[in-house]
Amino acid sequence: MNRLWKEFSKGLWKDLPPFKIVLGLCPVLAVTKTAYNGLGMGLAVIFVLTLSNLLVSLLRKAIPAKVRIACFIVVAASLVVCVELLMQAYAYPLYLQLGIFVPLIVVNCIILGRAEAFASKNPTHLAVADGLGMGIGFALSLTFLGSVREMFGYGTWFGMELAGDWYEPFAFMIEAPGAFVCLGLVLAGMNALTNWQRRTRGLEAIEGPIHDCKTCGLCATKPRI
Amino acid sequence: MREALRMILVLSLICGLSGLTLAAVRQATGPRIEEQVLTYVQGPALNQIFANADNNPVLDRVAIDLDGEAVTVFPAMVDGQLAGVAIEAFGRGYGGDIGVMVGFATADGSITGIGITTLKETPGLGSRVVEPEFREQFGSRPGQDMALQSQGGDIAAIAGATLSSAATVAAVNEAIRMYSRIKDRFPKRWSDQDTP
Amino acid sequence: MDYFTLVIAAIFVNNIVLAQYLGNCPFIGTSKESGVAIGMGLAVVFVATMAAAITWCVQRFLLVPFDLAYLQTITFILVIASLVQFVEMFLKKAVPPLYKSLGIFLPLITTNCAVLGIAIICQREEYTLLQTIIFSIASGAGFMLALVVLASIRERLDLARVPTSLRGTPLALIMAGLMSLAFFAFKGMAS
Repeated sequence: MNRLWKEFSKGLWKDLPPFKIVLGLCPVLAVTKTAYNGLGMGLAVIFVLTLSNLLVSLLRKAIPAKVRIACFIVVAASLVVCVELLMQAYAYPLYLQLGIFVPLIVVNCIILGRAEAFASKNPTHLAVADGLGMGIGFALSLTFLGSVREMFGYGTWFGMELAGDWYEPFAFMIEAPGAFVCLGLVLAGMNALTNWQRRTRGLEAIEGPIHDCKTCGLCATKPRI
Repeated sequence: MREALRMILVLSLICGLSGLTLAAVRQATGPRIEEQVLTYVQGPALNQIFANADNNPVLDRVAIDLDGEAVTVFPAMVDGQLAGVAIEAFGRGYGGDIGVMVGFATADGSITGIGITTLKETPGLGSRVVEPEFREQFGSRPGQDMALQSQGGDIAAIAGATLSSAATVAAVNEAIRMYSRIKDRFPKRWSDQDTP
Repeated sequence: MDYFTLVIAAIFVNNIVLAQYLGNCPFIGTSKESGVAIGMGLAVVFVATMAAAITWCVQRFLLVPFDLAYLQTITFILVIASLVQFVEMFLKKAVPPLYKSLGIFLPLITTNCAVLGIAIICQREEYTLLQTIIFSIASGAGFMLALVVLASIRERLDLARVPTSLRGTPLALIMAGLMSLAFFAFKGMAS
């Protein structure tokens, strides 16, 4: 039980994607114009990540090591096609909003990274806890980033009017440059928080998590750059 | 050798299973997806044409066979009576096909209005075919072939977007031709008083 | 749509990284040195063009005739994954010098969303085969341009004194934001 909670909760803070493990940046930047879009993408990722972890863990003894990446890709891609179909049937406007980034969930490093680094080596219940935790962490992060950008960029939150007529929307935030700068500042804030905690414990300040392809399990198996 | 066989076997099994699952999901969601696409792509144009309809034209649509191709017809009811139908037709524009929904009054076959469903024209030029000034030229006129002013007709083309304007006119004419061939074949239930 | 507009739009106006948000992981991950950036950029141009051309044929001659368009995502990613494997094996055997300089980037490209993204965009825009090839070369070149410029900026930033919390990825992202702002000036030039 203790172990189960540990695997679940690490995705919520200690290894929170994408702020602590810098992975899967494209949807993080692209679909966080509004909190609603961020949440929608987050829910899709929870679905794919949890089920892909479950299936990979169930199949882990049957899959030969040499073709495991190919198998992971087939599993993840099938789940993504399922999400595409379900979203078209039950959330068509959201499907139009997220556009090309729905099929692109399949190349989100988080999915294949968790399959390779965790699900293929651990029993099913832990793999599901890991996928669920990471997925929820990712969804919350996207909703948070979407909220910040929507509040500044439109003066609304989930479409609700927050500010009065006096508020001049800061259009920079909802365009591409705002996405990059906003994510950069959030990451810097996370690093500052970590370093503040380290200093209170008398430790030296460190540089934040570097974005390294090593963090994505897939590439760890190949020669590093 | 045995290892290679096992690899191929596992991979094909996983692919086969995924194929079956996806085909099943596709079967289950297919009709609903079609309805959603119609509601969000064709729906806005239908609402423009039939602002006063009591029914949902997308839900009541029927497919009528015309030379082996299915033509989807959207009916509009007013006070339980069939008031008009809409047909979508396409014309070749500058950036691709322009989809035009054309509404007909069933009483006399005249055109009640048009709405643009899909287009990929140049923003600011060809894309202006969606503007009311252009679209309203087609409203309330007899269902006969029409042409641009430069072709001897009376439709004023959009400045700098003759091709897109001509494509819209061609689509409307196409819809008129389709309407005249299928107008006697509408389902009987539409004209009955007790229609839903 | 004439080809010149297509090229300008793909490189500057709708730059794949800075305006379309595609391929951000390798954009941030491999922009620490310009040598690495050039290698990664060339590998992307090469693979993206081949992948877009092959997936175009797959869509046109396999998926559409058999009414399987809903399998687009899974088919495309499998085609790209096998293509990358194949290119890697081919380069290793046939052109060892090229393999030496590009080889290490190839495995990273399977999960590079720019490659799958370009292939899907070509389908959604309903490009012809020639347009697809030109668009993917230009988009790859746009990716390379952004990557090399960011790498040059970051090489200089290494010498600057910046707050510890901003060092590394956060500052790279803010730099990318400023570059994106600069590319914003191209908006409206061509669509």
